[in-house]
Amino acid sequence: MHSDLMKVRRDLKTVRDPYSGNEYVVVLPVIPDVAIIHAAKGSRNGEITTDATRNDRLLAMAAKKTIAVVEELVEPEDVLPGRQEVFVASVHIDAVVLAPGGAHPTGCPRIYETDAAHIREYVAASKDEQGLAAYMEKYIFAPEDHDRYLEVVNFRGGNSGSSTSGNRSGRKQL
Amino acid sequence: MTNMKISDQPAQTPEVMIGAISRLLRDGEWVATGTLSPIPAAAALLAKMTHAPHLTTLIYGDPDFRLSEGFHELFALAQKGKIDVFFLSGVQIDKRGSINLSMLGDYNHPTVRLPGGAGSSMLSALVRRVIIFTTSHNQRLFVPKVDFINATATDDAPWRRGGLSHVVTPLCTMAFDGTKKEIILESLFPGVDLEEVVRNTGFDLGIGGRSIPIMTPLADEELAVLRGPVRERMRLIYPQFAASVWGS
Repeated sequence: MHSDLMKVRRDLKTVRDPYSGNEYVVVLPVIPDVAIIHAAKGSRNGEITTDATRNDRLLAMAAKKTIAVVEELVEPEDVLPGRQEVFVASVHIDAVVLAPGGAHPTGCPRIYETDAAHIREYVAASKDEQGLAAYMEKYIFAPEDHDRYLEVVNFRGGNSGSSTSGNRSGRKQL
Repeated sequence: MTNMKISDQPAQTPEVMIGAISRLLRDGEWVATGTLSPIPAAAALLAKMTHAPHLTTLIYGDPDFRLSEGFHELFALAQKGKIDVFFLSGVQIDKRGSINLSMLGDYNHPTVRLPGGAGSSMLSALVRRVIIFTTSHNQRLFVPKVDFINATATDDAPWRRGGLSHVVTPLCTMAFDGTKKEIILESLFPGVDLEEVVRNTGFDLGIGGRSIPIMTPLADEELAVLRGPVRERMRLIYPQFAASVWGS
């Protein structure tokens, strides 16, 4: 209320709480058309488990459509949140995509770390248009699919051996 | 005995109601049922297993329906506009389609105090269609005007998405006429006399000169699915209801 944000965000409005009489700043809800979240485990039913410190369940509930990219596809009874995870019900998820290593170059907690060297390379490349174009070509446009991308970035980590075979995307059937 | 088909036994009243509600559900809809709603739950399952394979069923108490942290998520889905159909009932229902779940008589000195409206007011405004179901049909239930309004069939709230679609009772189906904003009789269940419905309803059913059709009886396939896979699922979700309709 008394920060300089109110000077630069003229669109923000205040409202008087009719119960306490206090004045508060109110903001409109953020309603994404599509949210894409990364999760450790998911089932073909559309249930997932995700990291408890993030707000991915809230994001999934707020968005009009939510796509969950998962490290591992498991049976519905095995979609059980670990100690530092939360469960997200399938009513909030519209599609599940199996892509081990799908969070790269960021990390997936307790499965693989952020690839700091790759992020440094990206930051350096993005200093000018030419460098960014070269980065995009090498890592995004040239690899024909996710597996090639993981090879090009020399990805190590994740659930060893759980990748690539069979149908990679599980469109949920409710 | 051994040659008898599963559908040879005549349909019981709850089965006819389940069939009537099932036929009101459209393929692709998201259908949610709340507490104490075995007939709508069975209807949603029957619809999904027959004419509406892409129905999404959100059945309270269904072991296959897993929420993250609580039933409030269902209310949030309704607010988002994801729920197409929800089911309500009441101790009083009036001609304008309002329902009473709170008390009978004067609010401050009620003759009967009831659990209350729960989410009925919000849900009736934010889902696309409400279907009211009742387990009796008499003038104590269908009254000219409810003693207390918990949820309206329609109103001019700017956030309103839909409203009352149908009322399904043990005798008939009624429709909500959006122009007159009144409940009107739509069809009679097989074997039910028009006079019986009129006599047991405390308001004018808008029959006028209309000839009221008899509902097409449940097909063999509908009865077979209802008494087979739907019954099996209902034994897990609503065991007492399943036992009362189909035996153990």
